[in-house]
Amino acid sequence: MDYMALVILGCAVVTFIPRLIPALFIDKLDFPPKVEKFLNLIPYTALAALICPGVLTVDNQLWYIGLIGAIVAAALAWKKVPLGAIVILTVVILIAVYSIVPFF
Amino acid sequence: MGIGYAAIAIKAGMTPLETISMSFLVYAGAGQIIAASMVLSGATAMAIILTNFVVNLRYFVMSTCVLNKIEDSNTPLNILAAHVTVDESFAMFSLSEDSSIWTYLGIAITAWLSWCLGAGIGVVLLDLLPVIVTNSFNISLYALFVAILTPAVKESRQIALLVLVTAVLNIVLSQFLGNWSLIVSTLVGAAIGMYIVDDEYLLSGDA
Repeated sequence: MDYMALVILGCAVVTFIPRLIPALFIDKLDFPPKVEKFLNLIPYTALAALICPGVLTVDNQLWYIGLIGAIVAAALAWKKVPLGAIVILTVVILIAVYSIVPFF
Repeated sequence: MGIGYAAIAIKAGMTPLETISMSFLVYAGAGQIIAASMVLSGATAMAIILTNFVVNLRYFVMSTCVLNKIEDSNTPLNILAAHVTVDESFAMFSLSEDSSIWTYLGIAITAWLSWCLGAGIGVVLLDLLPVIVTNSFNISLYALFVAILTPAVKESRQIALLVLVTAVLNIVLSQFLGNWSLIVSTLVGAAIGMYIVDDEYLLSGDA
């Protein structure tokens, strides 16, 4: 098989299997309350781990670009701005930040 | 946004068809970017596949959480739901109050198709976009994550503490564990959460 086809199909298979296993068995499982609580905590910890430290690598040279973006998004969310608007505004504000960076 | 991924894929010498079909079939944000970077640096197919397995193992955890929360579903729909489970769809659904399978598929399939569309746009427009614009788009995913997490942090000091502990844990572990650190921090963080978060602060899946 051609190199790229092998890479794409191989990655597709190893990515799909971990996603698929819960789909095949979840109906047969009834988790005890402790496991339920553990699963309900995962969204918070997964998001925390996805954001830190990854957000600092949004720009490979300027680590504070990502930090500014995160602070802007958090401030907008604190003020209850809708989700889609937060994403768009954060991108727009970062483009604005980039246009003033060269002056410092 | 699939544009950043497309930028690396094209640079690595992948054809437009290969670039877009990877988005459709693999559908893994960071995993695809890492795969394309490894193609660029001339890695073997086996090394790329193995790295993708490790990086994407977190979807096992996310798929379990999503499917545990989904109501009124069946196995074929669950399998479709499993394929479209990524960080964004998991984050948006698991902290929302709606637990219908159709809500989830609506969110997740939209995200999947826009990821593929983004790769298509990237392939066509790449040379036209300045780096500043593509970097600014890179923040959009993080802005989404922060926006989803902020209300919970504002609501509960216990959740805020848990988020802080997990963030610090992942910053430290990523120095030692590399690609494994995300999934280890997520699970260890949740285990710590068992002790520091009271049940009343959690949006429960099927209470």
